[in-house]
Amino acid sequence: MSVVLAIGYAGFVASVLATALSARLAAATATISTGLVGAVGIATAAAYGTASVAIGSWLGFGPASLLSDRLAGIFLAATGVVGAGVSLALLERGSSKLVAGLHALILLAICAVIGTDQAFVFLLAWETISLSLYLLASADRERPDALVAGYFAGGMSKLGGASLLAAFGLLYAKTGSFELSVWAQQASHLGSARDAAFILFVIAFGSKLGLIPFQGPLPALYAAAPGPSAATVSIAFNAAFYGLWRLVFSVLGPAPLWWGEVLISIGALTALIGILYAIAQDGIKRFLGFSSVEHGGIATLGLGVALVGEAAHLPKLAAAGLLAATLHLLVHCVAKALAFVAADRVSQAVGDDELRPLGGIAARLPVTATGFGVAVLTLAAMPFFGGFVSEWMTFMALLQAFRVHNTIAELVLALGGAFLALTAGIALLAFAKLFGGVFLGRARQQLAVVRERRFAFGLGALTVLALVVGPIAPWEVRWLGHGLQGVLGFDLGPQAVTFPLVLGPVYQGFSVLSPTWDAAGISAFALTAALLVRLLLRPRVRRAPVWISGTAAPVASVQYTPDAYANPIRVVLAGLYGFKRTIERRRDEQGREISVAQTRVVPAFEDYLYRPIVDGSVLLAAQVRRLQSGRLGNYILYVLAVLLAVLALIPALTR
Amino acid sequence: MLEWLFRGLRHGVVTTRYPRRPETPPVGFRGRVDPVGRGGVGLEDLCPTGAIHVSDGRISVDRGSCVLCGACVAAEPELFSFVADYQTAAHRRGALFTGGKGPRTEELRPALGERSRTLRRSIHIRHVDAGSDGSEEWEIHALTNPYYDMQRLGFFFTLTPRHADVLLVSGGVTASMREPLLRAFEAMPEPRAVVAVGTDACSGGFSAATGEVAGGVDQLLPVDVYVPGSPPAPIAILHGLLLASGVLTREIAA
Amino acid sequence: MSIDRAHASSRVPTQLLDGIRVEPEEAEAPERRLLVSAGELARATRALLDAGGHFVGTFAAREPALTLRVLVAYRGELVVLGASLGEERGYPAIARVTPAALLPERELHDVTGIVPLDHPELAPALRPDPDQLPRRVVGDQTFVIPYGPIRSGVFEAVQFPIDTGGEDVLSLTVRPYFKRRGLEQRFAGLPLDHAAHLAERIAGISTVAHAFAFAQAVERTGRVEVPPRAERWRAIHAELERIANHLDVGVKLAEDAALSVGVARFGSLKEQVMRLRARLCGSRFGRGVVAPGGIRNEPLISVGEVLGTLDGLETDLRRDRSLLLRTTSFTDRLIGTGRLDVETIVAYGGVGPVARACSLGIDARLERPYGAYPNLGFTIARATGGDAMARFDVRLQEIDQSIHLMRQALEHLDRLPAELAVRVDAAEGEACGWTEAPSGELVYCVRTEGSTVREVHVLTPSLRNWPLLSASYRGDVLTDVSFIEHSFGLTPAEADR
Repeated sequence: MSVVLAIGYAGFVASVLATALSARLAAATATISTGLVGAVGIATAAAYGTASVAIGSWLGFGPASLLSDRLAGIFLAATGVVGAGVSLALLERGSSKLVAGLHALILLAICAVIGTDQAFVFLLAWETISLSLYLLASADRERPDALVAGYFAGGMSKLGGASLLAAFGLLYAKTGSFELSVWAQQASHLGSARDAAFILFVIAFGSKLGLIPFQGPLPALYAAAPGPSAATVSIAFNAAFYGLWRLVFSVLGPAPLWWGEVLISIGALTALIGILYAIAQDGIKRFLGFSSVEHGGIATLGLGVALVGEAAHLPKLAAAGLLAATLHLLVHCVAKALAFVAADRVSQAVGDDELRPLGGIAARLPVTATGFGVAVLTLAAMPFFGGFVSEWMTFMALLQAFRVHNTIAELVLALGGAFLALTAGIALLAFAKLFGGVFLGRARQQLAVVRERRFAFGLGALTVLALVVGPIAPWEVRWLGHGLQGVLGFDLGPQAVTFPLVLGPVYQGFSVLSPTWDAAGISAFALTAALLVRLLLRPRVRRAPVWISGTAAPVASVQYTPDAYANPIRVVLAGLYGFKRTIERRRDEQGREISVAQTRVVPAFEDYLYRPIVDGSVLLAAQVRRLQSGRLGNYILYVLAVLLAVLALIPALTR
Repeated sequence: MLEWLFRGLRHGVVTTRYPRRPETPPVGFRGRVDPVGRGGVGLEDLCPTGAIHVSDGRISVDRGSCVLCGACVAAEPELFSFVADYQTAAHRRGALFTGGKGPRTEELRPALGERSRTLRRSIHIRHVDAGSDGSEEWEIHALTNPYYDMQRLGFFFTLTPRHADVLLVSGGVTASMREPLLRAFEAMPEPRAVVAVGTDACSGGFSAATGEVAGGVDQLLPVDVYVPGSPPAPIAILHGLLLASGVLTREIAA
Repeated sequence: MSIDRAHASSRVPTQLLDGIRVEPEEAEAPERRLLVSAGELARATRALLDAGGHFVGTFAAREPALTLRVLVAYRGELVVLGASLGEERGYPAIARVTPAALLPERELHDVTGIVPLDHPELAPALRPDPDQLPRRVVGDQTFVIPYGPIRSGVFEAVQFPIDTGGEDVLSLTVRPYFKRRGLEQRFAGLPLDHAAHLAERIAGISTVAHAFAFAQAVERTGRVEVPPRAERWRAIHAELERIANHLDVGVKLAEDAALSVGVARFGSLKEQVMRLRARLCGSRFGRGVVAPGGIRNEPLISVGEVLGTLDGLETDLRRDRSLLLRTTSFTDRLIGTGRLDVETIVAYGGVGPVARACSLGIDARLERPYGAYPNLGFTIARATGGDAMARFDVRLQEIDQSIHLMRQALEHLDRLPAELAVRVDAAEGEACGWTEAPSGELVYCVRTEGSTVREVHVLTPSLRNWPLLSASYRGDVLTDVSFIEHSFGLTPAEADR
């Protein structure tokens, strides 16, 4: 197996080098290498031995190797399988040599981050990812926003890289070694240096995961990445989460309780704010970028639960949290890569990434629409799709709050659950807006000729993967159980999966879910209904025009715009968004007076976070005075707030 | 909320039992105009909407054109009289002429009662105003108040014609409402029934002579039930709806 | 009778019209009729409005010669400005003076071809095409919802194209005339009696008010005095109609707030009023009661029965009302919704409960008392908020006032002479008659010849208040639309005619 792994890594190097010859060749090589690495990952995680490639001693920082053990196998599997799909898409689509090379380089660096056992290689690979992402974002020189995104990403990754360097330096100073295993052995004797390292790690990986308040450049980076390479960026997400996972949980752990609490708080806020900003976006990729922020938050929630479980000496709780976080990461990785590949096909077909002029292209891009639909259903956590399973797991893990006998931890867990529930609800609305706005209804502007591209193997592979990732969840959980056994000390598989293919949150008897049977049942019902209607009723179909209050106004001019879909939320949370609508009076060509509406959304949450507390209190006082305004928008806001509070209190009170 | 509940309860049941029990109109209610006896020429001019026809001394009143103003009753009390009646709806335009061969509504009542008992399906109604004077809308809307409560008979208003079984049209169809009305009909699934509510919808009423209206819904659409009256009382509209439900039942059976 | 009052008052507004050549019109009429030149019509209107008058309407009278008319209510008088058009077919638009003239002038242009010069939006109005939606607001992220002509519910046909960004209403345009039946033209040549029946069918829900206004105009041309007993019954029917209208607004507002029991309770109250009207005259809308010269028939039930029903109604209403006003899920939706300020209402010439909800004391029953009202005591219901709640509040107060008025009118009714009507046959000339309809001041301008009608122009509160409905959207959202519309209580049938 080590040989296969070595071939895989060699393939990456070959792919980067092959860029000099042809972009397609590079993409083809990358497809094969990622496939190989993925296969090794799957096998090693399932405990069929380990694979290791020694790469010698690096500049005196000690010997290092790229290995694939049970834990790394999980992440290598995800990176490999999804990376293969994306590479295939890149191969089909064709791209510039620079993009193909960067794609291969990023994949190599991601695998290196995951596979290494030595901090220096980790740092090197990490910086490679940062630099490549910066170059990727700046690759499209025709777009001014791309350059800005590139600079922004570069700047933010400086902060992340510096934090990582500082943390590694600190740990080296205390332990005298760059080996991760040495750090892990000595972690419990590190004292306050351990806490400092934890904070630095959160900053370092948070800046790639998009955790609050470090998410600034991330969505812009996705939007700026040319072609399907936005999907590559989303795979890099894996490396960041793996870093957090590995270094905080596995190396520095067992952690004090407050680490978990901090991660849950950050995760909850990140998830909610991520989806709230996603819903306000006008570009498809930018939307998906903010959605990645949201999902990063959700995965962090799971990791936080694991830390709390470990600190509270509840191995099952730790297992539940880890299982949820890891599963969510896998599912999200597949679905988001699929979404970006599909989004690229859309923008290639219509020549635009903006939502506003789009609409009704499902009929012309049926394959893309199907792929995007599956991705959206997964990301919006619709039952039996993968996202539902993993978010359900996360939610169930958070609901175990009552087992932790610590008031603050219980409250944090409960609040995390409430935020997650709200996030999931808004996500449904957000993705309905996205899919509806792009694929359904009628085009709002005359679009150029829209045609489906000929090949869709990359998209097709990812679609199938995303479609089955939910229904096969029981097998995935068993597989993850093997992979996590080394970290947890026991196999969670038998606890989480009971006969017949029923999932539970590790604690048996707490609650059950079976995506497999759901998928089978729902499909069977749908098929039966369709058959019955067709065979028994034989519907006579008479098509009538769309009903618009009795008018025959052009549908495109009266249908809800994607913005309008999000408008209620924007109006309710106008303060959070910096949402402003100004109306200017003008005269049109015929001299009639018309008004021109201009809207502005400033994602300036950073300002809000750092704004002096005094300002905040003044604002709060004004808001309190305005409580009794009688405006519907405000009442909805109160309802949301109360809902959150109640959702948080229920588990706390019913222990 | 609890207070509202008690408020609703303290008045007991005020709902009519129609169609199982007959509903008696108040004394002097202007339900329809009946000609009594025979008359001569010149009677036609009594009516502002031309609803009086005389042939061979036999007087016939076209209830579909009669706006129940009572000009004829005031001028010739021996020849015309108001009858306090709610059940004036008919399936055919011709049946609205007195002395015509339409089914006697009095004989129909037990059949309607039977039908409402067996009416297990719910019938959804879309109303379209095609140029009424606004009073028909009040009377149609009154069907939902506790006195009439049409939901008990399985009738519901729906907001979109796509869910509607019955198209309830008021008004004589103005130029601007012509297309919207046709679109509403087009958007309805089959089987569907069209009910013309009010004299304006049956014939155009006063506006028939202005040239601004089509002069009745049946100029554009196949009307299944005519409910004359200016405006027809809620019970009269309910009577029309029950007749329409028969149309639907028959078409489903066919 | 108010004929004498109108003659007696001699507050000549000529000093207001400084610099405008004014001459009293030849025709003898109870209103103050002044002739100006077509070019100065707008200026004269502005002078009257600036001095505190409010705009009533504008139209072109066809007989005896084509004459532009602008009606302004000014200090207890109805000032009828006239301007005969010579060869020129244009005049400075009144719509530049008050937005209330926007729709009437478009209508005038459609019917006669006379051009109101510099009219802000002079497009054909009478046969609106539902598919051609006007956009008032353009720009990114906005679209238009064509609410109507077939709207969601049992409502009359009218179209409100709403420019929106999805939730906030950026602009709401009112497109009336979907129900244009040409009824004004239908009057020509009808016998007086038949014409009264037609007037009843212009706006079904204001049947009595229309017949009443028409009858008064005819009575002025015929110079007859209506028997006092008839005047009392007219007032009673008019007030019953007002109560029914206001209760209907209550039903619709409760329905908008999804307050089912409130809908049922107010629906019951309204039904009780409708049934009382049916028992009184055989028609649930009071049709066939008012005729030129008086009323047609003796009421079908006794005064005692009417009083008894009123007592029961009042008790029920008092309880339901206090409960409704304590239901915050209802009141919260009304408070602050569709707020109008005094300046806007004055500028737009608002009338009826809409104006009174902004503390303006505009009520034809007191400004230019008619019928039995000079002998009946009541106060103008007012509120100060200018929002949907204030408008509803005014309506609730008016129900009380109406019951109070009816009790007075029913008092000692049997002591009055039994005569119910006088004959009107030698009616000649042109006159105006007015009533305070449930939705505001209603004026009929009638020209008669012998016992037939030559020409009728109906100046309705609904048409005048439509532009105000557009003006009342200040940061309201889509779900407020129905609340605001229903709080206005306007009827498209009346505006479209």
